[in-house]
Amino acid sequence: MKRVAPLIILLSILFLFFTSIAFGQVQTRLRVIRASSIGSNVDPSLRDVHGELGSLFSFTSYRLLRDDSLSLSPNRPVSISAREGRIIIEMTLMRLHRSVADLKIRVAREGKDILNTQIRLSPGRTVLIGGPKVRDGVIIYALSANF
Amino acid sequence: MKDSCSSISRLLEKCFDQEATGEERLIVESHLRECAACQDALRSMEGLRGLIKSPVEEALQKEDFPWVWQNIEKRIRLQEKLSWWQSIRAWLDLSPLFKRKVWVPAVATAVVLLFVTAQIILNKPSYPDASVVEYVESETNDVMVYDLEKAKVTVIWLFEGPEEEAIPS
Repeated sequence: MKRVAPLIILLSILFLFFTSIAFGQVQTRLRVIRASSIGSNVDPSLRDVHGELGSLFSFTSYRLLRDDSLSLSPNRPVSISAREGRIIIEMTLMRLHRSVADLKIRVAREGKDILNTQIRLSPGRTVLIGGPKVRDGVIIYALSANF
Repeated sequence: MKDSCSSISRLLEKCFDQEATGEERLIVESHLRECAACQDALRSMEGLRGLIKSPVEEALQKEDFPWVWQNIEKRIRLQEKLSWWQSIRAWLDLSPLFKRKVWVPAVATAVVLLFVTAQIILNKPSYPDASVVEYVESETNDVMVYDLEKAKVTVIWLFEGPEEEAIPS
């Protein structure tokens, strides 16, 4: 039995290592963008977003309001506000698989939910959530994962 | 030989083999002083020992022990070599860690742990083909979901009414 003990300990360590990966955190990048049809300024870091949305919408100006790296833990909501707190996006990591994270996202204006969604985010994929209006345009959230 | 000679004979052999106690040796020596028959018996034993001892000693002097050991080594080397499979089996038999009663439970434990771990890690739907958006809802506005699969971009767009536009910045 004494000889089996190190083997069992080793296997347990491997088991805990893999489960810790399975239930670990997710590093995400959230960019808060204001898009409008006034002017024609496009932040250099937003050319990818402009390229994707250019065929769908007629916005000519893209301005980066925030660029945050967020570490999401399971069932712990993280909130980011825009427009001085009037519009809030709240993200919650629901499940993390090896290469896919299930995120629950809530967008609220003045404390009232205007959008609820759940997405599966994988590395290399970007999810753009847009539409909440501001006086001179709309807010777009560009969400991507890094894990 | 006197009547007591029969009992002395056993002690005489013990004395001859230097196995007798001090008391037994005194008894034998006392008897030998008086008994010619036992003296003859002792001389016979000494003669017999001399006959045996001298040839053995001569043979030992002639014998070359290093040469004997070389022969033994040679025979060991000439023994048939084990195949690789027999070598592995011999090693497994020798290594206590790999005794069957040890490695069978160990392997079973490893298999169970790997199975459970794999279930946890690999337990996911076929995501490449699955939709990125599991659900989306808005009680107040229309929502559009658009996948730009080539660019790996998903767009969720909320169509807010004109009243929200009036909110001051």
